[in-house]
Amino acid sequence: MFGLDFTWLLDPTYQGWLVEGVWITLQLAAVSSLAALVIGLFGALGLTLRLWWLDALIELFVEVFRNTPPLLQMLFFYFTLTQLGFTVEDPVTGLQQPLFNAFFSASVSLSLFGGALCVEAFRSGLDAVPKATLEAARSLGYGRWALFRRVQAPIATRICLPGLTNVLTNLFKTTSQASVITVPELMYAAGQVYNDTFRTLEMMLLVLVIYVALVSLLSWALLRLERLFAYPGYGQGV
Amino acid sequence: MVINPSYEQRKRLLLIGILLAVIALVLGDAVRGGSAEWSRVIARLPLLLTGSAQGWPITGGFLLNVVMGIASMAIATAVGTLLGLSLLARRKLVRQPAFVVMNFLRNAPWLVVLFAMLYLLPYRLTLLGVTFEFSPLAKAIIGLSLPTAANFAEVIRGAVQSVHAGQWESARSLGYSTAQIYRRVILPQAFRRMIPGWMNLYALLMIATSLATVTGVQEVVTLLRTTLSMESETTLVYFYLAVLAMFFAYCYPIALLARRLENKTKGDSL
Repeated sequence: MFGLDFTWLLDPTYQGWLVEGVWITLQLAAVSSLAALVIGLFGALGLTLRLWWLDALIELFVEVFRNTPPLLQMLFFYFTLTQLGFTVEDPVTGLQQPLFNAFFSASVSLSLFGGALCVEAFRSGLDAVPKATLEAARSLGYGRWALFRRVQAPIATRICLPGLTNVLTNLFKTTSQASVITVPELMYAAGQVYNDTFRTLEMMLLVLVIYVALVSLLSWALLRLERLFAYPGYGQGV
Repeated sequence: MVINPSYEQRKRLLLIGILLAVIALVLGDAVRGGSAEWSRVIARLPLLLTGSAQGWPITGGFLLNVVMGIASMAIATAVGTLLGLSLLARRKLVRQPAFVVMNFLRNAPWLVVLFAMLYLLPYRLTLLGVTFEFSPLAKAIIGLSLPTAANFAEVIRGAVQSVHAGQWESARSLGYSTAQIYRRVILPQAFRRMIPGWMNLYALLMIATSLATVTGVQEVVTLLRTTLSMESETTLVYFYLAVLAMFFAYCYPIALLARRLENKTKGDSL
C-alpha cells in the first residue's frame, strides 16, 4: 500500500535498536517526571509560605522555563554541563570521559522544564480548594499543618490531577527532543535505522505510532488514577 | 512618608529589579568596551535575528520563526475550527473520526509529526493541473500547524461546552434551529472564552518553531548552531542566553496577556 515497505522490521538488529530506544525513552521520561514532580511540589509548597521574595523567585523560574524552547534549554544544558570540566576515567579505555553525559544533561533540562509546568499545576490545584472548606476546617480547630495534611492536600491533589496529566504527557513527548543532543532514545534509534535502510517515511510513521501508543497509555493510566481517587464533587467535569 | 507596598507590589518590584539588573549588567559591560564574548554576540545579532549579516534582507533567523508561527497559526485556526466543530457534531459518523484524529495529533510529539511531514509530503504535487511545490519551509509550517490545530479543536470544544446548558434549552424552547443557536447564542459567548486558549497556543507554537531546525530551515536555532561552529567555545553560553532571551521576550508578554484575559473571562460563566 502506497509503496510502503516494512520488511526491514523483520531484521533482529533493527528490532534491537528500536527496543533499546524505547527503553531509554522510558527511562528518560521516568527520571525527569519524578524529578519534575519533586520540583513542582517544593515550588508549590514554597508559594504557600507567602514570602514575597520566594514567590518572585519561583515565578521567575516558572516563566523562564515555560516561555523558552525546551530544545534550546536542552542544548544549553548539554553544552554548559559537559564543558564544566568534571571528568571521570573510563575503566575500560582509560580515557577521560565527561561526567555529565547527554542523558544526564537531558534529564536535568527536562526535569527543570517539567518542574516549571508542575509548579503551575500544583499551584492551581491548591488555589482551587474552596475557601469555605478551609474556613470550616479551621473553625473545627485544625492547626496549620493538620489543615494542610488532612484537608487542603487531599482535595488539591484530586483537583490538579487533570492538569498534571497534561504536564506529564507533554513532558513525555518532549523527551523526543533529546535525540538532538544525541541521547540514544527512540527518535535517535529511528535515525540510526533509516540511515541504514533509507526507509525514512516508514520509520517515521512507525515512530509516530509508537509515541502515540505510549502517550495514550500514559494518559489512560493517569485518567484511571484520577477516577480511582476521585472525591464526589471535586475536580470532576472541570 | 511611609511607603508600605503590598505583597504583590513587592513581588513585582523584585522581578522588575532583577530584569533591570540583568539589562544594567549587559549594558554596563557594553559601555566599558564590552567583554569579548558579548561583543561577539552583538556582532552576530543581526544574523540571528534576520538571517543576513547586515540585517537586511530578511532570509531567516528569529524573524523567520515569527513568520512560521503566524503562518502555522493561520492554518491551525482554520483546520482546528473545522475539527472542533466536527467534535461537537451530533452525528457519530462525523464526531468519532474527528475525535480519533484529534487525539492522535495531540498525543504525537511535535518533533515526530514534523519529521513525518518532512518525508510524507511530496516535493511537488500536481492537483488538477496546479503544481504545488513543498519547500522545507512549507513542510515545516504544515508540520507545526497539525498539532496546533488539534489543540485548538480542543480549545473550541472546551469553550462551547463551558456555555451553560440552560442557554441551549432556552434557545431551543424559543424555536431556534441548531445552526441559529450556534450562530446567535453559543458562539458569541464561546468566542470570548476561546481567545485566551488561542493566545496560549500561539505562544506554545512560537516556542515549537525552534524544532523546525530539523527540517534544515534557516531559522534561529539552525543559524545559532552554524554560528557556534565558527565561534570559540567560550562564547557558547552567551549565544545561547541571547537566543533564549529572544524567545522569552517574544512569548512571555503573550502568555501574560492570555492569563489576564483568562482571569477576566473566568467570572462570566452562564
